[in-house]
Amino acid sequence: MTLDWSVVWQYRGALLEGTLMTILLTVLTMLIAVPAGVMLALMRLSNSKPLSAVSACFVEFFRNLPLILVIYWAFYVMPVAIGVEFSAFTTGLAALCLNVSAYNSETFRAGINSIRKGQTEAAIAVGMSRWQAMSKVIIPQAWRRVLPILASTWVSLFKDTSLVSVIAVGELAHTALQIRSQTFRVLEMLTAMAAIYWLLGYPQAKLVDWIQRKYGVKE
Amino acid sequence: MEIDLSPILDSWQYLLGGLGVTLLLSVLTVICSTILGAAIALARVYGPAWLRVPLVFYIDTMRAIPVLVVLVWTYFAVPILFGFNFPPFWAALVALTAHIAAYVAEIVRAGIESIRPGQIRAGLAIGMSQAQIVRKIILPQATVRMLPAFGSILSITIKDTAIAAVIAVPEFMKRSETIAGQSYHPIEVFTFAMLVYFVILFPVTRLVDMFYRRVAHLGRS
Amino acid sequence: MNTAANQAARKNAGDVPVIAYENIRKVYGKFVALDGVTAHVNKGEVMCLIGPSGSGKSTALRCTNGLETINGGHILLDGGPLPDSETEMRKIRQRMGMVFQSFELFPHKTAVQNVALGPVTVLGMNPSQAIERSMALLDKVGLAAKADNYPSGLSGGQQQRVAIARALAMEPEVMLFDEPTSALDPETIGEVLSVMKKLADEGMTMIVVTHEMSFARRVANWVVVFDHGKVVEEGPPRQIFEDPTAQRTQDFLSHLGWNG
Repeated sequence: MTLDWSVVWQYRGALLEGTLMTILLTVLTMLIAVPAGVMLALMRLSNSKPLSAVSACFVEFFRNLPLILVIYWAFYVMPVAIGVEFSAFTTGLAALCLNVSAYNSETFRAGINSIRKGQTEAAIAVGMSRWQAMSKVIIPQAWRRVLPILASTWVSLFKDTSLVSVIAVGELAHTALQIRSQTFRVLEMLTAMAAIYWLLGYPQAKLVDWIQRKYGVKE
Repeated sequence: MEIDLSPILDSWQYLLGGLGVTLLLSVLTVICSTILGAAIALARVYGPAWLRVPLVFYIDTMRAIPVLVVLVWTYFAVPILFGFNFPPFWAALVALTAHIAAYVAEIVRAGIESIRPGQIRAGLAIGMSQAQIVRKIILPQATVRMLPAFGSILSITIKDTAIAAVIAVPEFMKRSETIAGQSYHPIEVFTFAMLVYFVILFPVTRLVDMFYRRVAHLGRS
Repeated sequence: MNTAANQAARKNAGDVPVIAYENIRKVYGKFVALDGVTAHVNKGEVMCLIGPSGSGKSTALRCTNGLETINGGHILLDGGPLPDSETEMRKIRQRMGMVFQSFELFPHKTAVQNVALGPVTVLGMNPSQAIERSMALLDKVGLAAKADNYPSGLSGGQQQRVAIARALAMEPEVMLFDEPTSALDPETIGEVLSVMKKLADEGMTMIVVTHEMSFARRVANWVVVFDHGKVVEEGPPRQIFEDPTAQRTQDFLSHLGWNG
């Protein structure tokens, strides 16, 4: 067995592009899935039964499906349902957003619910509307509790972007696997892929630990 | 657009077989990763200091690398490194176990560390040994506290088995993919697959929640 | 003088009561929390609601500003019934101030910000005006020096006094106190009660749910005794504490060790 690690260096450009694509997918997904999660949480907590039910169904559905299946499904359904040919990137992004919004919604809902009922009552007693109570009193307190969980979701998302490789989106996993196929340097490329993910993921995991220590609520 | 369910109906046995593989792989993974994860956590909390560094490194590594990468590396790279052929199912079992055991280890550790020190002191005051305290006082309470998180491990495992499709494990996801490709009716097939997974996964977390609510009082101190 | 005569005498005093409960009922599933309660408080009066835990006195108070809704009967503010719509109810709440047993100060805001939040958010007051009003109120409750402290840096008694200032900032017609001293250390109860007495002396209309019998004895104009969701007796403090007519009142007071 002869190993040729130079292939990793040779293809560093492509690997870098793949990495950037991974980061781009993560950032874009979070940019969409955080507001979407807030909206879903508020819908779920609202007094309107239909809004609450719609949100609950959406969240339960996407929390209870494997992401890889959602990706495949989106790939085939989206062009038919909406009639437009989407790029693999957009499809992958959509699937990731659906998935992460559902998780975020639960995170925000738990955060909001963790604030004592008395706080809402005190705000209402002074004459605030439910919306004012939420925005001035509840959410400012809840975001501290939400932050550690969002950080953890971010790291999971970063890893989950690897799954969109199955529909040929050019992120890191797909790029590495392509190079493997082209060069037949299996062990080298797979190890390099693992190593790059490790180099990116390890600091993120440690950052999450730090955030949890700093912002964690001791019950 | 007309809906054609015949590909699903025609291959129902094939798909059912895939479902069986999914469930088998999930159950085996949960069992193995629980044992491994608990062992790691106990070694980390109660074991010698020199063991802590490599264990923490292992846990953090599994937190940093995607499941897909672990699966692919196990299936393709291990045979090259060690010279034997790894059948897809077993490669998936090893990879998933290694990955999920890290999460189990963290859950067990958190459960153990959440038991109030007063409980340990109470045990010592009665004259129990360290091992007895761990077995009789800490672990029973910690186990109850871990239940909700454990439910999510079950759920995550079943979802992760679907990723094993990329290394051609003949589980439900892979077989759905095959039927979808052959039948030119991917929408029906994948929608059906989604419903099946939902029907399996939705009750899992609910049941664990319900069970936890029954026994939660046993873990409160 | 018996209860009925007391009531009649008060009603004929002429003015429309600030708050009136007319046969109000409240149920939680099978549990009847309020079972036909009738009482009222006139302008400038302090009405204390006393009774065992679970007797319905806090429930009645919370129904007054709409935190809970009644299932039967009427609650009247200045003679007019409380509205059904939430938007209308919000305006009503601006005319009532509430102080909670657990203070419920907003932990992410300083004392003065806590007091000013209502005027700024609800009344649309100019922030610097609101701060001015808030500082004056904090001064009134003796905490001007702690204006920039966060609730975590205040003792329980101090937090409750800030909470009183917060309720006063909306310039309410009536102040509702829900066991304001039950969660306090004995040393700090006094400082809160003296602020409440000061308010009463200034003529604020107050409904106070309390276990502090000596406060009720000294400050209340009218005492209503609750038991199992009903009013078992009501009258001036002298009657309730020295010469109660109802057996339940006597049982309750002797159970508390009240010796008059």
